[in-house]
Amino acid sequence: MTRLDLTRSPRALALLRSRWPQFLLRAITLAGFIFTILAGLMGSVVGSHNFAIIFVWIAWWTALKLAFIPFGGRSWCSICPIPMPGEWLQNGGILQPRGSMGIGLGKRWPKVLRGTWIQAGGFLLIGLFGALTLTSAKITAIVLLFILVLALALSLVFERRSFCNYLCPIGGFSGLYAQAGPVELRVKDTDICAAHIEKTCYTACPWGQYPLALKSSANCGLCMECLRVCPSENIAVNLRPWGSDLGPKTKHRIDEAFLGLVMLASALVDSAIFLGPWGQLKSAAYNIGSPDWFLFAGAFLITALGILPGLYVGATWAANRFGSTNASLRKSLAHYSQVLVPLGLMVWIAFTISFAFVKFGYVLPVVTDPLGWGWNLLGLTKSAGVGETTSFSLVLQVAMLTVGLFWSSRVALRISETIRQAAPLIAFSSLFTMAMLWLLVG
Amino acid sequence: MKKERIARWIVIILVLTAIGVPLGSWWLSRAQGTQIEIHARMPENGGWSIDTIQAKVGQPIHLRLTSDDVVHGFALGKSDMESWLSIFPGEYVETTLVFEHPGKYIFYCTRWCGLNHWRMHGEIIVTGEGDPIPGDSLPLFLQYNIDIDAPHYAENIPSSPPSVERGSRFSDRLPNYAIDKQTYFLTSPEGLWLKLRSEPSLSDLSDMDIWDIVRWIWDRQNSSNSQSLGFKLFMALASAAHGESGRGDGVMARGLPVMDHSNMGSGLVRPPDFTDPHVLLSASPAILEGKIIRGGMGTGMPSWGSILSRDQIHSIIDYLYTIAWESIK
Amino acid sequence: MPMESLPYKTTPTNWKRWAWVIPYAGLALLILFIPLPLPFHAPQDRLLRIEASSFQFTPGEIQINPGDRVTIELVSTDVVHGFSLDAYGFELKADPGQTATGTFIADQAGVFRFRCSVACGNLHPFMIGKLQIGPNLLFFRGIALGLLAISAALISVRNVSRGTT
Ligand SMILES: [Cu+2]
Ligand SMILES: [Cu+2]
Repeated sequence: MTRLDLTRSPRALALLRSRWPQFLLRAITLAGFIFTILAGLMGSVVGSHNFAIIFVWIAWWTALKLAFIPFGGRSWCSICPIPMPGEWLQNGGILQPRGSMGIGLGKRWPKVLRGTWIQAGGFLLIGLFGALTLTSAKITAIVLLFILVLALALSLVFERRSFCNYLCPIGGFSGLYAQAGPVELRVKDTDICAAHIEKTCYTACPWGQYPLALKSSANCGLCMECLRVCPSENIAVNLRPWGSDLGPKTKHRIDEAFLGLVMLASALVDSAIFLGPWGQLKSAAYNIGSPDWFLFAGAFLITALGILPGLYVGATWAANRFGSTNASLRKSLAHYSQVLVPLGLMVWIAFTISFAFVKFGYVLPVVTDPLGWGWNLLGLTKSAGVGETTSFSLVLQVAMLTVGLFWSSRVALRISETIRQAAPLIAFSSLFTMAMLWLLVG
Repeated sequence: MKKERIARWIVIILVLTAIGVPLGSWWLSRAQGTQIEIHARMPENGGWSIDTIQAKVGQPIHLRLTSDDVVHGFALGKSDMESWLSIFPGEYVETTLVFEHPGKYIFYCTRWCGLNHWRMHGEIIVTGEGDPIPGDSLPLFLQYNIDIDAPHYAENIPSSPPSVERGSRFSDRLPNYAIDKQTYFLTSPEGLWLKLRSEPSLSDLSDMDIWDIVRWIWDRQNSSNSQSLGFKLFMALASAAHGESGRGDGVMARGLPVMDHSNMGSGLVRPPDFTDPHVLLSASPAILEGKIIRGGMGTGMPSWGSILSRDQIHSIIDYLYTIAWESIK
Repeated sequence: MPMESLPYKTTPTNWKRWAWVIPYAGLALLILFIPLPLPFHAPQDRLLRIEASSFQFTPGEIQINPGDRVTIELVSTDVVHGFSLDAYGFELKADPGQTATGTFIADQAGVFRFRCSVACGNLHPFMIGKLQIGPNLLFFRGIALGLLAISAALISVRNVSRGTT
């Protein structure tokens, strides 16, 4: 497969190798993160006038799904500020590679808690409480603060970026879809690594990855630490065709299927709540603790843990029966989870186009008045309008859903022996795409 | 290690800036606060964040108003509609008030913000030297000892729409009391009709002729300016409860039980149907004035005596009678 | 090794393999944009009374025909709400007790969202209704595109020349 190695360009290599560009970006995002928390706590309770709501849920959340992930895989993780304070303590410095100079117990993450299960659970929680979090600046700020403190606390107990690896829902989201992204970090020459005894790259990796063994971009946070410490300049940062981690021979775990299904369910439910014309559903999702909310939560959980997994298991079971080898269902569930990756990615992109394009008008007003205290830093003259869905946005949503169906069908075909075997998964993707189509433009 | 120190300083400075900007400006605005910031919230969420304001005679107070949830309004009791302010969520509106007289002023919300909107009022306590706020005259129902809660329902109503123009033809035949202001205030249209009906000098006139006369008298007593002001006030303050046509089916009240004698005084009821001529033709301006000033005693009708000026109340009464007259088919 | 030569692993791409993309892209554009005749309905006057409450419109889903002359009566039942119709630039604002009325001609077909245009609380940004004017062609185009996408996937993989039995 074609690859374009960025480290072959001296300029790009210098940029990746130097700690400063990344450090500065992270310092800025850290300051922004802390400002966001304060804005959420102190600023206007009217969401459209609060920096925290607009920047987290309109600007950043959109950028993540429309830019960072589709064009850079886990690139957001490389500039995410959340692990920064913890690593300062762990490494005994902010511009330091991992070492033994810092403080912290450095325990290994318990085996039973590994995988993306907790991340998927976190994503479910976001969905269950989403209508409140999305509209309340205070709750948004409290969630961000909680995440920051939790990451710090965990980094003192456990080694490396345990929070990012096993807990962060956004990490799970980015990691899952980074497999479809066009960026990867790999070793150039496996023989050089094999002969290298110190494994400085593994020691340096905050994600606990060993580059030589890296087969998927899901777990690599693109932090470039290995590239910086490699004595042989043997680390490549490749631009690659989209979807390169998805194929007949790549390895996948069953928790990826679960994560992928949770993401699909979340996209479905969020579309219904936020874009649909059903006011009672909105109120039910918002009034946490009310009987209606329990109904909503039940319906959501049944969709995420019952209906969608049920359909997926059914499709996989059928695909398994059509296959020649007698793979176990469990193995097939993991194998076919790849179909969920492009499907989910494109569905989230379509949802985001529908959700965020209408609301971009809110961004400038909160730059000029981030706390909603009546400032006018930019000297703007008008406040945000209502916003509307344009026909361009609608066509774009349909196009994205179509690409998603094409892509997931293609993956299904590529990882199946026969068309017949892929058919149940294509049917699953079609059904889901149609549901989204109906929610978005129906 | 020098680089590490620079990096640490960069992080510290950036983070301190991020913390300092909001905290600093919050502190600054507190320290030099010459303005009183008031947040309007639905009564369910706490109403006005400040509901008692202290002021001194002759010293201006600067209010900075914003809303935390929905559109609200701000007005001083008895002020003209032109001075009413709208407060939009997340946006600020400023106003400066100066008071000439010491005493207690009311401020209230002028834009419906839910079922409990009418509870949304506060006080401005003005202290200092000067004459007290000129008071309103005693309400008519107190002056003349009228029971405004007595049930009333017109036995006689016109069989077709009465006409001002036809009524005016008999103006020179009317007894003096008929065009007296006091008669107007204390008599219901039906009452005046009965009185004139029993006048021997008018015995040659038909029942309908007498109704035309009553209609003409009612029209004489109030100007069209007053009616249109009454209409505006009714729409802004009352139509959400009384209905836009006055039928008693406003969006806030349409789910309530219809008032009848079985549920009198037992809680919220639907307002009366003003488009039923039997209702208003049996009520004198004094009764209507009394009901508006005092309120509905548990029916859900608030007391408007301190919120509206007497002129505003009379405009509303003028408008109400036009509903009754125009509902006669 | 010359440092400036960027690619490090290239197998010559067999562009012929992807030749099917061109007709398929054309077909996709055709499906998306080809004008389709709409079933004709004699335009009629319609009076739509829409009640707005936090945070929903009742009715929230409305169907009319292209060309209809639509009069909207917006009735707010709790706080001040608005009504803003996508693509039409049509807006109303109503206080409780003060019905707002406006008229427009439904000269664009499709499904349009209408949304509250007066901030009315936390869920205000999501206070949305749906006005369908004529058949929802975009939805049907979407389904056709989906079928096209599946056939494109089949072709793209068959051309990879993996043995399918
Ligand atoms: Cu209010
Ligand atoms: Cu609204």
